Amino acid sequence: MSQNILQLRDLEKIYPNGTHALKKLTLDIREGEFLVVIGLSGSGKSTLLRCLNRLIEPSGGSILFAGRDVTFLKGSELREYRRQIGMIFQQFNLIRRRSVLYNVLSGALGTMPVWQSILGRFPEELQQEAMRSLEIVGLKDKPLIRADALSGGQQQRVAIARSLMQKPRILLADEPVASLDPATSHSVMQYLERINKEFGTTIICNLHFLSLVRRYATRVVALKGGELVFEGNPHDIDEAWFKRIYGEDAIEVQID
Amino acid sequence: MASTSPRSVFQAFVLDVFFGVYLAITLHRIIWHRVLLNSEPNELTMPLAIVYGSIGVVLAILLHAMKASPGRKIFGLTIPGWRDALAVHMLWIAGVATVVTSWVVTKVSLIDLFSGDRLQRAGQLFGSLFTPEFSIAGQAASAMVETIYLSLMATLLALPITFVLGFLSARNLMKQNNTTFVVYNLVRIATNFTRSIEPLIWAIIFSVWVGIGPFAGMLALMVHTIASLAKLYSEQIENIDPGPMEAIEATGASPLQVVWFAVVPQIVIPFLSFTIYRWDINVRMATIIGLVGGGGIGDLLMQYQGLGRWNEVGLIVLLIAAVVWLMDYISAKVREAIQ
Repeated sequence: MSQNILQLRDLEKIYPNGTHALKKLTLDIREGEFLVVIGLSGSGKSTLLRCLNRLIEPSGGSILFAGRDVTFLKGSELREYRRQIGMIFQQFNLIRRRSVLYNVLSGALGTMPVWQSILGRFPEELQQEAMRSLEIVGLKDKPLIRADALSGGQQQRVAIARSLMQKPRILLADEPVASLDPATSHSVMQYLERINKEFGTTIICNLHFLSLVRRYATRVVALKGGELVFEGNPHDIDEAWFKRIYGEDAIEVQID
Repeated sequence: MASTSPRSVFQAFVLDVFFGVYLAITLHRIIWHRVLLNSEPNELTMPLAIVYGSIGVVLAILLHAMKASPGRKIFGLTIPGWRDALAVHMLWIAGVATVVTSWVVTKVSLIDLFSGDRLQRAGQLFGSLFTPEFSIAGQAASAMVETIYLSLMATLLALPITFVLGFLSARNLMKQNNTTFVVYNLVRIATNFTRSIEPLIWAIIFSVWVGIGPFAGMLALMVHTIASLAKLYSEQIENIDPGPMEAIEATGASPLQVVWFAVVPQIVIPFLSFTIYRWDINVRMATIIGLVGGGGIGDLLMQYQGLGRWNEVGLIVLLIAAVVWLMDYISAKVREAIQ
């Protein structure tokens, strides 16, 4: 099988307020897989994703990226590492008052000298590349529209285009469809699937709906109280597993 | 009884000493001498101050020990019954003594306000004010223009400094490490201190420093503008949506790029709106600052007031009111338009 792109060893996160969000988490993530992380709100899914690109500092354990320890990277080395990992968010996190193109271009900031980016001088190649990214997500006719004038699903696609500017080896998706309606959810998930299949980008995605998990994931892990409680094939999550992950009173909700 | 911890008993005692000394001074010097005897009390010398202090402390110890003191009442530490009633009486007596003292110290006089010849004088004054002298309109207008431009200059010169200080005093940006947090605290202390000094006092300082005139007034307004706008700016930065910052940080951007691309777009409009509002405030303040030698229309007002030419003063007041109203209206419209 393919290689492990990320190896987590005994990863720990304890917040200053005492919340123990991740407990001795050990997990291998294979290059090119579509990994979905499930679990209740507060189970540590978001913390896990943000530890992977070090938006949140782990309290213990280690993260290996392509065999290299990235747990303690600092400054330009950390930024160099983050450039290889794209990220999209539940609330899209676009710069709302700026154009779609401006938002997509901001994904390339890590590759530009600071002064050049602040003067707004994005090289011609980057602009063309931004247009290609927009084409991939089906928005090439909207580069000059203000980001907040788009619908939720379109905004999430702009966010995907922004992350494509990094030519990422891994794409982290934190609840990417939780603010969207069912039809739009599938559209966004299909773009992620396409990026996964066409560019071989590893996807690590937090999701709530099991129907989406079964449809898109190549592998599933479940977190409960910061611990890994399930790891395997999405179709192996039966009634019993569901109740173990989500609690006895949980009822599965379908999204079509 | 709320709590009988030694700490609150001590705090109650400190209050009792304050009440004791305060009552000794106000009851003797103001109520007894000024109100009842209508005479000037003796000059407050050191030995006399010690006498008041001793009476107050003795009173405090006595009442505190009896558990009938006002301080104990405030902390809920009195014994119900006559002791509690005594403490309540002390509290209202202190309240009444305070109101009477304020009245006496302010030299409130209804006779001065409403006696016949005083009213006549006021009538003449208002009459002059309401028949403005239009022959000085040109002079007044050019002084007004000076005021508007000097307040614009103060606002513009303050802008770049405030912009930088706003970021340096935003908690969410500066809390990241110890060095930046020290800078944050230093900037906060400096701007808080500067802001607590009124522009009028800054104008006095600068009119001594650079001489009387519009330059001194401009500097005074600039300093106060920097201090107050920096606070508004930093509050705006603290209230931004952190999502875009997280997204830009995740792309591998440097901290400066994060600020420029994720923070600045969110704050440009509110900053602009605050700045226009501040110019409006500065025009208003500039008229006052002129009174102490800050140039512009306030200067002119003081000159005519000194000569007792109230018709001219009337015109100037009219002009100030018109310009302030107009600035207020325009700045509200502009701020509405850019939202």
